[in-house]
Amino acid sequence: MADQRIEPILAKSAASGASVIPAPIVVVAVPKLGRPKGLGHLLERENVLAGVLLAPTLVILTLFIAYPFVLGIWLAVSDKVVGRPGNFVGLHNFWVNLNDSIFLRAFQNTFVYTFIATILKLMLGMAAALLLNQHFRFKRIVRASMLLPWIVPTVLSTLAWQWMFDATFSVFNWMLMNAGIISQRILWLGDGTLAMGCLITVNVWRGMPFFAITLLAGLQTVNPDLHEAAEIDGANAWQRFWRVTLPLIKPIMLVVVLFSMIATFADFQLIYVLTRGGPYSSTHVFGTYAYEIAMRAAKLGQGASISLFLFPFLLMVIVFQLWYIRRGD
Amino acid sequence: MAESESVASINRRVFLKAAGVVTGAAVAGGIPGIVAAQKAPSFPKGTRLSILEWVSFVPASDVEFKRLAAEFGKLAGVEVTADLINMNDLNPRIASAIETKAGPDIIMMINNWPHLYADGLADVDDVAEEIAKRDGGFYDISRRINMVDGRWKAAPFTMGSGVWNYREDWFKEVGANKFPDTWDELRKVGTALKKKNLPIGQAFGHSLGDPNSWAYAVTWCFGATEIDDKGKVVINSKETIEALKFTVAFWKDCLDDGGLAWDDSNNNRAFLAGTISATINGASIYFVAKRQFPEIAKAMNHAHMPKGPAGRFYYQGGQAHGVMKYSKNQQVAKEFLRWFMDRPQYDKYIAANDGYVGGPTPYWEKHPLWEKDPKLVTFRDAPKFGRWTGYPGQPSRKASEALVKYILVDMYAQAIKGMKPEDAARWAEAELKKAYA
Amino acid sequence: MAVQYGSRLKRAVTFYIPLTCLLVGTLFPFYWMVITSIRPDVELYSVKMNPFFTLHPTLSHFYYLFELTMFPRWAWNTLFIATVSTAISLFCGLLAGYALARLQFRWAPSLGTVIFITYLVPPTLLFIPLGDVVKTFGIGDTPWAVILTYPTFLIPFCTWLLMGYFKTIPREIEDCARIDGASRFQAMVRITFPLAVPGILSAGIFAFTLSWNEFLYALVFLASPQQKTIPIGVFTELVRGDVFYWGPLMAGALLGSIPVALVYSMFVEHYVTALTGAVKG
Repeated sequence: MADQRIEPILAKSAASGASVIPAPIVVVAVPKLGRPKGLGHLLERENVLAGVLLAPTLVILTLFIAYPFVLGIWLAVSDKVVGRPGNFVGLHNFWVNLNDSIFLRAFQNTFVYTFIATILKLMLGMAAALLLNQHFRFKRIVRASMLLPWIVPTVLSTLAWQWMFDATFSVFNWMLMNAGIISQRILWLGDGTLAMGCLITVNVWRGMPFFAITLLAGLQTVNPDLHEAAEIDGANAWQRFWRVTLPLIKPIMLVVVLFSMIATFADFQLIYVLTRGGPYSSTHVFGTYAYEIAMRAAKLGQGASISLFLFPFLLMVIVFQLWYIRRGD
Repeated sequence: MAESESVASINRRVFLKAAGVVTGAAVAGGIPGIVAAQKAPSFPKGTRLSILEWVSFVPASDVEFKRLAAEFGKLAGVEVTADLINMNDLNPRIASAIETKAGPDIIMMINNWPHLYADGLADVDDVAEEIAKRDGGFYDISRRINMVDGRWKAAPFTMGSGVWNYREDWFKEVGANKFPDTWDELRKVGTALKKKNLPIGQAFGHSLGDPNSWAYAVTWCFGATEIDDKGKVVINSKETIEALKFTVAFWKDCLDDGGLAWDDSNNNRAFLAGTISATINGASIYFVAKRQFPEIAKAMNHAHMPKGPAGRFYYQGGQAHGVMKYSKNQQVAKEFLRWFMDRPQYDKYIAANDGYVGGPTPYWEKHPLWEKDPKLVTFRDAPKFGRWTGYPGQPSRKASEALVKYILVDMYAQAIKGMKPEDAARWAEAELKKAYA
Repeated sequence: MAVQYGSRLKRAVTFYIPLTCLLVGTLFPFYWMVITSIRPDVELYSVKMNPFFTLHPTLSHFYYLFELTMFPRWAWNTLFIATVSTAISLFCGLLAGYALARLQFRWAPSLGTVIFITYLVPPTLLFIPLGDVVKTFGIGDTPWAVILTYPTFLIPFCTWLLMGYFKTIPREIEDCARIDGASRFQAMVRITFPLAVPGILSAGIFAFTLSWNEFLYALVFLASPQQKTIPIGVFTELVRGDVFYWGPLMAGALLGSIPVALVYSMFVEHYVTALTGAVKG
């Protein structure tokens, strides 16, 4: 009887390409379970169960974000300044942004920053996850110490990097000069392009562990038997990675990439502490520019329109992503 | 050390006596009306007064501020709390407080913030006028930045200035026995210093203090302004182009080339590390030097901004206290400000600052502490040459926008990076037009 | 012999060298932070000194941190806030992720979208209207102001991540259990959730770290020094105008992260064991 049940499961699973979890789990993990009665009966219905499960989330989000969210959008189409009520101005703020050279520079920077940093984080995170997925002596310590850049409060680690890039005190300059590689100090944060490079470096340094850990967890769900089978079939390491591992962790990868991209698009703290948008406004991104306008010029409406400039675009990305995830059903 | 201390305290007693206050009765004369009339504190029990301030780079003055706040609390039967945070982090707190109509009762206003937040501030004409009458008037700049549409929106508190900090010893080595009086002279001295690998340091990055000290002051010294008194943008003028050309030449000849990336703190570090010979800064360099690098403290001094064709000017700021309109404790707040700015209290506060900030009225120029350390005299006199953002117009919200977008700073930075001065001026004109629109 | 040598070299190239590079790149700034936190101030300002070690280590910066600021209190606040917000977010995210990944119901797509859309409005914009909400509930200047607002950005991500994990667990296992007589609810709790433990731990680590790290909401909603968290307290009180107290700043950074890393090191092993056990059966 047990065999009869398992065969179709294995066949079906293999067909859909999902990872196969050996039968014993299923058998062992099903203790004596009774028949649903009363409330349990009600929870059998998908609608009701869904409602119950989603309730806590919806309650918190409604209470704490529905109103601020709507207000945030409203601010972007108003001329509100601190202390005065605002008036609806339609898309005027957005039009002003498009004619603002600093805004256009921030637009470009945000995209460059986000795309390059995300790609680097993905590649390095994946490499790290593959490395950490193996057994070696100091595994535990290495895995934990990999997380450190992610754990240190951003403001503080970015301050440390600022000092490391400092025009006068840079430890990198010290090393390069003493090694004879350069004779004049490099002004890391004094040149627009170089400063962007520094920002991306710090972002990747800080964010890579997160990719690594999440992808590692994903890798752990891949059954090593699949790898063995593929190896026996003659696949080399690269092919194994590309054909076996990658498809299986795609859902998680996509989630992590999408989330990280959105967070990086809106990144504020890192750039604010490292360059404040300088030198000569060449490293502003949406987050920092919006903050300067909203907080220091007290123009909340204008600042909101900068923050939300990409809202329609990101909305489309999310809708697509959701459709893609649900497509798996 | 001990001798000069007791001399100072004798001077202080004489000073206070001359000002008509007997030391023993100083406390009793503190709260006008209430204590003098021997009445019980007129505030309901359980009243709380909360204050939001910046942290000072002089830790002792923060200690003194909190002590005075507690003393007021005891006298008035009120619970006083003071929260001190980094200057740059005040803006989001203020915005949130005004918008949610809840938060501290008194908040420090820096530079032209009273104009920015005018709608959220209560009128404090009574407090300000009282201080003015007692002390003989405010500095013009104090009036400008704290009065909006003819009403006092914040009570002036202190004046912090950015002046030239320089190494007297190194300047002497290249033949300058005193700090140069004009920009051209400074350029000659700076060139000689840079040749000895001791350049002058100036920030052109994105922070609100030191970069603006150059951008606005040099513009004014050469006779240019952002706008005229009718509000029209006039930055694209031959005076501005002169200022730009001068700055680019000064950069090549005299300035440390890390400056494009500098914020407010880099020049402090560089000066204390001995890699630059002079810089515009507040008194924070001297303060740290006295405590940790005494040889540098001995070798350095302060001097005024050199004169340009149009004169000598500072980009001047000031700190003030605003009473928030939403506050339910406005009476208490005003009493606190009155009491704090009065003789014995403010005297102690200024003394705790060791001269790193000046008072908002010319009265406090006579304080004996200025004689204690002659190197601080420049800070005392700087407000006389002060101008504000948006000069000669109002330090309005629009001027704030120009400030916050670092239009003037970027204009100079881009010229340094290679943009032609004419193009830089034109760029600044276009940007300023949008800000002042 | 040749085979052994070959695979050892191969192992070095494909494993040890990349791993070392990764570790150096990741930990180098920490080494620098450690050195800075034990260097006397005089050395910090010197351009010529070797930045990699010091001959006069001092604990004065740590002393400063503990005696002259409320660091221990901030550490406790941060721990409390991060733990509770993580718990709330994990709870909500687990349930919501399951519902959206597994259950078919009419509002599924739209609700899913709605939850994630809230993510698109950045905190730098939201904090002002959120301040209003915080005031209305009367929780300003208490840890609850942030404990209840952090989930607004933690829940969407936890939900997402767990949705992704649930997707990698074949439906058939639950169907199997239900055929056996389990209720949908029981199948969910007894079968699916345990299999998602790696995902739960991942999401938990992530949520905890984000709460630990958060700056803007904590700055605006927590006013008194006793309520502050580590990032706020250390940053706002040790950066005084243009004078940075580097030694205590770096000391604060280290003390604010190494304990957390140690705790993580325990969890990281946990989910590996859980899964290894599961796979071996």
